[in-house]
Amino acid sequence: MTPRPSITLWKWSKKGMLNDIESIKNLAQDDIARAGSLKDINDLKAKYLGRKGLLTRKFSSLGSIPREDRPRVGRILNEAKDFIESLLKKQEDIFRSSELDKSLRTQQIDVTVPGCFIPAGHLHPVTRVLDEISAIFVSLGFTVEEGPEVELDYYNFEALNFPKDHPARDMQDTFFISDDVVLRTHTSSVQVRVMEKNSPPLRVIAPGKVYRCDADVSHIPMFHQLEGFMVDRHIRFSDLKGVLELLIHRVFGRDTSLRFRPSFFPFTEPSAEIDISCVICSGAGCHVCGGTGWIEILGAGMINPRVYEKAGYDPELYTGFAFGLGIERVAMLKYGIDDIRLFPENDKRFLEQF
Amino acid sequence: MKASYKWLKEFVDFNLPPDKLAHTLTMAGLEVEEIEEFEGDTIFDIGITPNRPDCLSIRGIAREISAVLEIPFKDITVKIGAEEGEGPAVEIESPELCPRYSSRIIRGVKPGPSPEWLSKRLESCGIRPASNIVDITNYVLLELGQPMHAFDLDKLTGGRIVVRQAAGVEKFRTLDGEERKLPAEALLIWDAEKPVAIAGVMGGRNTEVSESTLNILLESAYFKPSLVRRTSRALSLSTESSYRFERGVDIEAVTLALDRAAQLIVQTAGGRVTRMTDNYPEPFERGKIRVSFKKISSVIGVDIDGAFVEKTLGNLGFRVEREGEGIAAVPPGYRTDMEMDVDIIEEVARLYGYDRIPSTLPTMQMSSPPEHETQELIKTLKNSMVKSGFSEVINFSFLNPDALEKLNLPPDDKRRDIIHIRNPLRKEESAMRTTLIPALLNNIALNLNRGEKMLRFFEVSRVFLPSGGKLPDEITQFAAVYHKDVTASIWQDKHDGFYDLKGTVENLFLELKIKRYSFERGASPVEPYLHPGKSCSIVIEGRKTGSLGTLHPGVARAFDIKGDVIILEIHDIEKIREAVPARITYVPLPRYPYVERDIAIIVSKDTTVAQAEKIIRGTDTDIIESVKLFDIYTGKPIPEDKKSLAFSIRYRSAVKTLTDSEVDAVHSAIIKSLEAELGAELRS
Ligand SMILES: [Zn+2]
Repeated sequence: MTPRPSITLWKWSKKGMLNDIESIKNLAQDDIARAGSLKDINDLKAKYLGRKGLLTRKFSSLGSIPREDRPRVGRILNEAKDFIESLLKKQEDIFRSSELDKSLRTQQIDVTVPGCFIPAGHLHPVTRVLDEISAIFVSLGFTVEEGPEVELDYYNFEALNFPKDHPARDMQDTFFISDDVVLRTHTSSVQVRVMEKNSPPLRVIAPGKVYRCDADVSHIPMFHQLEGFMVDRHIRFSDLKGVLELLIHRVFGRDTSLRFRPSFFPFTEPSAEIDISCVICSGAGCHVCGGTGWIEILGAGMINPRVYEKAGYDPELYTGFAFGLGIERVAMLKYGIDDIRLFPENDKRFLEQF
Repeated sequence: MKASYKWLKEFVDFNLPPDKLAHTLTMAGLEVEEIEEFEGDTIFDIGITPNRPDCLSIRGIAREISAVLEIPFKDITVKIGAEEGEGPAVEIESPELCPRYSSRIIRGVKPGPSPEWLSKRLESCGIRPASNIVDITNYVLLELGQPMHAFDLDKLTGGRIVVRQAAGVEKFRTLDGEERKLPAEALLIWDAEKPVAIAGVMGGRNTEVSESTLNILLESAYFKPSLVRRTSRALSLSTESSYRFERGVDIEAVTLALDRAAQLIVQTAGGRVTRMTDNYPEPFERGKIRVSFKKISSVIGVDIDGAFVEKTLGNLGFRVEREGEGIAAVPPGYRTDMEMDVDIIEEVARLYGYDRIPSTLPTMQMSSPPEHETQELIKTLKNSMVKSGFSEVINFSFLNPDALEKLNLPPDDKRRDIIHIRNPLRKEESAMRTTLIPALLNNIALNLNRGEKMLRFFEVSRVFLPSGGKLPDEITQFAAVYHKDVTASIWQDKHDGFYDLKGTVENLFLELKIKRYSFERGASPVEPYLHPGKSCSIVIEGRKTGSLGTLHPGVARAFDIKGDVIILEIHDIEKIREAVPARITYVPLPRYPYVERDIAIIVSKDTTVAQAEKIIRGTDTDIIESVKLFDIYTGKPIPEDKKSLAFSIRYRSAVKTLTDSEVDAVHSAIIKSLEAELGAELRS
């Protein structure tokens, strides 16, 4: 506790009064600076601002000074009070928070204990890729259509210009339900179904499951495809190239190059197979691309007029393109999956990586 | 098709090393799938697409190289020496099935091993050499793409040939010694008495050329492709011959092949050749295909010069005439794939080079495609499940019929009405699934078996149910399975996994804004494969839409699963979609404060929470805002056949601030109802 100040209070002089106030302020400032605890602060509050506090007593003596001086002295007194109060408050805050800190520090928890949550699940990689590719086409104005997986021979083959007893049918090992019902071998089966119900212009994608009677290290009997097609007046082969280039660049990056090779599908003419530069070795040659630097990824072409005939479109009026993409294949390249049989196996450790 | 680099070079004098040639072929549509070395030669394995049977020969591939590289084609020259005597007598009964049959007899041949050049050639292209005469027929098949057959003339009764359908003949022993059951429509080659070959597929044992053969009859013919294909498939016998016939050989080159074979046989096995019998009643005519330059350019998307079109087609063997701003082209006989203008356009594009065609983007009118609500719903549903910790699986659509047994499905269950696959790969995949559950249980079993724990899987896929029509009903279902592991996390509580999965469904409905749903137990178990005490129906807007429950322990055992599996099933995703509100409508926030009161009652153990809640909510008032269960307790001091339920009830009025006495009145009414209807006692 600081010693009581020795200030004479009994004799009025304006100068003396103002000096006194100034001294009290200085004294308070020193006291507060020396305070060491909340208790000191409380004592100082009483010393200066309490009922008998030093400054309070100055307020009481206001009545004994000349009337004309009162307002000015009163204002100076109030300023001094604000000054001391704010110093006290500041110091009090400092003591309060440091004392809280001290007590909080004793309430430690182990922050390294694992958090409490249900780990999020995972979408199947096939869904991820399908969603990504569908979104690209939807953003280009394509409609998403579906068709049956157990399909008439007519839509899967006949209407796509695969005549019965034609070797082109050997291109796809087919599961049969009956003579004229098959498990669709490609999502191309959706083409004529959509054309029968709609008139051009058409922009359609048809994602879904397809089936081939084939199972070995690189084949599974059920997998996913995405068919895309577009029909209008004046659709050109160069448009097919442009759209597929856009797709591949969005999925695999702008550095990926495309290679169009002549090929054959009964429902397109001209037909093409599309290779992309190997995403694993960037074209240098590796086991994934068989050393060629290229990976086959798409089948495509200009829709054959025979398909339009089946759909009742005028082949002289309309042209269009179609393409088919194997989703597992894209996923394998995108994520570096080396065994297609992992997709239907559904091992948790596989699924959790996507 | 295997093709030798050196052999090709005999037809076209190209100046490309093997790898460059392979690239050229691939970029022209003849994809070189493999390249291998064979005794100083390079062998290409080329994938020939079904539209290009003309490339199933060295000569055909060479012709293509010549056109692509614009290097002259050097065709073979065939010379038959002096012909001796008449050709064989040949009768074709069904010329629509065999439009051309040419033959010669060679007398005085000496069968024996082939000279080395011949054996090596065959070997290099993957055919095992046998003896000179047969080897020559195979050589011509490779060289010209025309299948040939040599009969032992002295075993042909009457020394003559008749081409006629099987008509009653059921069995026939082929060259390979197999006795084969013939389809009725099979086309056969007969002598005066008996069948001696299955046309286009394989010759007969009875007239096979052997070491002691003296005289042969050599056949070169054209058989109808679709018939050969059906026959070959019916016999499950695919040969180098049938493979080519079913794709279509060059009908105009039938006699060239006959002469080529005769020439080579005389060269290597000696003999004297008769004149040719060429039975070709209606010579084949190719029509003109017309296409304008404008159409070519507009389909391809780049301006292509008329002169380029003419030159390219000329190189490919077309006879081309200019007709105004377009051409009329007659394709060569071997291009059986050329039928209409787009076929010509493809040839032009192919030789122009796909890589030289620019990339453009189509211009098209803007349109607003209709929203596919079900697809959107499925997306939301999948994301909600993922957030709840479930991983998506995609299983085969196949079903092992045994699984229905394991699921305890009664005989009249509609899921037993399965669609069988005629040619399954294995029994486990021999039908189309009518339920998602077996595959999901197999997912659990596989992962448990691999030591994985805490398994949460879901699948959204179609099941296939008979519709009465040709095609089944394909219904998109949603199912989830949960195998809980309480040790998986330090935070894991020990409650029954049933409530975890129930919570997942409730959260899903919350996300989908489906409000009118309930979990209901009927008099009989909801599914035969669920635990009868721990299962219920999911009812949405009064309709039974699915089920939730613990897997029956007996069924778990049948699927090799230890521990509890909780199953959720929604039988038709469309039913969910119908319950999703079409739009969101904002309800104004309450303006007056609420009052919350707790209530704890002791009721008999078999009283359900839903019963109590229904009574509370049934109170005649409009100030009950919500009722929330916050505790269930059994054990001391509650009597053994009782339990305590504690609810927190929130009261609020829409029009004023409630007073204590107003709340008290309703609260006591609730207590009275609970006492009266459930025999509940207030717990103090
Ligand atoms: Zn590579």
